[in-house]
Amino acid sequence: MEKLITILFIYILVDNFVLQRFFGICPFLGVSRKMETAMGMGMAVVFVITISTLVTWLIHYYVLVPLGIEFLQLVTFILVIAGMVQLVETFLRKASPTLYQGLGIYLPLITTNCAVLAVALLAVRQEFTLLESVVFGIAASLGFWMALVIMSGIRERLELSKVPAPLQGTAITLITASILSLAFMGFRGMMTL
Amino acid sequence: MKNSYLADITRGIFKENPTFRLVLGMCPTLAVTVLVKNGLGMGLAVVAVLTCSNIVISSLRRFIPEQVRIPCYIVIIATFVSIVEMVLQAFVPSLYAALGVFVPLIVVNCIILGRAEAFAGKQPVLRSLCDGIGSGLGFTLGLLLLSLVREVFGNGTLLAETNYAVQLFGPNFEPMRLLAQPAGAFLVLGLLLALTNIVFKRLQIE
Amino acid sequence: MSDLKHLLKIILTLVVVTAVSAGLLAGANLLTAPIIARQQEEEYRAALQEYFPQAADYKRENLEGDAFDLVYDAAGGLLGVMASTAVQGYGGPISYNLAVDKEGRIVGLRIVEHSETQGVGDVIEKSQFQQQFIGKGYRDPLKPGEDVDTVSGATISTSSLIESIRSLLTVVAENFLQLEDEEAIDISAVPDGTYRGTGEGLFDKIVVDVTVAGGRITVIEIVEHSETPTYMAEAAALIPPQIIDQQSLDVDTKTGATGSSNGIVEAVRDALIRALNPEGGENNEE
Repeated sequence: MEKLITILFIYILVDNFVLQRFFGICPFLGVSRKMETAMGMGMAVVFVITISTLVTWLIHYYVLVPLGIEFLQLVTFILVIAGMVQLVETFLRKASPTLYQGLGIYLPLITTNCAVLAVALLAVRQEFTLLESVVFGIAASLGFWMALVIMSGIRERLELSKVPAPLQGTAITLITASILSLAFMGFRGMMTL
Repeated sequence: MKNSYLADITRGIFKENPTFRLVLGMCPTLAVTVLVKNGLGMGLAVVAVLTCSNIVISSLRRFIPEQVRIPCYIVIIATFVSIVEMVLQAFVPSLYAALGVFVPLIVVNCIILGRAEAFAGKQPVLRSLCDGIGSGLGFTLGLLLLSLVREVFGNGTLLAETNYAVQLFGPNFEPMRLLAQPAGAFLVLGLLLALTNIVFKRLQIE
Repeated sequence: MSDLKHLLKIILTLVVVTAVSAGLLAGANLLTAPIIARQQEEEYRAALQEYFPQAADYKRENLEGDAFDLVYDAAGGLLGVMASTAVQGYGGPISYNLAVDKEGRIVGLRIVEHSETQGVGDVIEKSQFQQQFIGKGYRDPLKPGEDVDTVSGATISTSSLIESIRSLLTVVAENFLQLEDEEAIDISAVPDGTYRGTGEGLFDKIVVDVTVAGGRITVIEIVEHSETPTYMAEAAALIPPQIIDQQSLDVDTKTGATGSSNGIVEAVRDALIRALNPEGGENNEE
């Protein structure tokens, strides 16, 4: 239990997936312009990461390892993730059209969000148990969500301020991310696994 | 005709540079560029994967049905990434250890799927080959610049962990450790982007 | 009909693409796996040769999940032990080899694999950090800040490694080299006087003054400690009288305040060692 809580805190704050580990930077820069879209994307990512980590963990330990074909890990994982995204999309469209309207447009983008594959791979590499992997997935994606929401809040304000021409767009976003990352460095070393 | 091949290569390096113009593939760009060695290694790994996947996807473009092209592309890319991963582990284990999980993550590098979708899936093999080399080199150039700044100022060395390592500022130099940190990566890339914005603007005016 | 044909084509394409991919990967794996294994074996052998130049052979033993290679020279004499283990660092497991000669001194440290932050935790790879362990014996404290240094900014990576090295060294010394746990101290050789020593309690340092008269310990006074007062009171009431009574440090410390008790014994030992080697210790005779 203690380990689960530690994992949760580490991957939300200490080892934030976006600001400290550089996973999922593309969506972080791409869809953080508005708070609303950031919320939608974040929620979709939490959803997909949690489910895909569960599935890839099971596949790794119950299919790949027994058959001795770990070299197919990468191909299998990425296919499973792409498939899961598709499945979640179809399911949401049927089951909850309102939720689908909110999340639908972000789902296809998630396949190439490297945070999803990173969680799946790291869960296996760090030899987490199934429960730990799922908590790891939840923590990592919550950390992603939080970073995304913080960033979008800042960027909404930034729209209104005067930014020098060459810095406009991604450049100032990266510099903002740098300051955010600096702030998160304060959590460094607070906890370890 | 020759010109168009050359154009395919240079487009990826300058006009549509993945790092500075398209802002794609940021995760490895930021993560592995602490040392020039790692940045260069990652860049060349991407060149290899991108060139191979572009060739295969382009030559299969008539056989792959429209609806399943993305899964097919992903499988093809993942295959090459896995091979690159095994080769790195077998022949350059130190680089493999330094790049860590970012080697398998080349699969989800948006540049590769992006080039497959935007170019290789529609164009002939030779042009796709050139495009792959160009975009790959453009990406490598971005990594090289970023890692150069971060290693020189953040570590005080050049080409550390290779046979050509140079200690630049003498033994008493206290490097700007921040640049080797995640925050430094964001900062340097942001400033480099601003710099290229200025350069491109000037070039267009003159 | 054409729909069915189309569907068939889609499925066929997917199957063919994945099958070819699987085949290619199996082939690549077949080709590279032995190279990877040989590479790791060769690196290990090279390290072994570097730390034990006369090494001719080694025999692997396993203990509690860690591997210990007993290294022999050509004549079959034991040269030392090369131990392989892993410890949880800041970014993930750090796996390393520790080479120990037959006197229980560290002759080599080799980080095999780690995932510490680049530019920060990866200082454990640097030779400056590793060099400070060379020559340290199993009796050395190996305490961060005392005889080995952590690296600021990478405290977790470095201190967990130091901790692990200390316990691994003890395991090697006790299980494979059959070295005595502690040096016996000849109290009768200690000149008369009062000596100060420190030991590590449960929380922090315990400082004691030990008075020796006529080759016997006569007074043990606890000068300073940060232990829980009630536990310390218990330990202070039990341990010093036992030591004085038996004139030996081999006393039963399982008192219910074991941490504090061990700390007192350690502090007394430290005082006596300093008394015996006045030039080795610093500024302790009073």
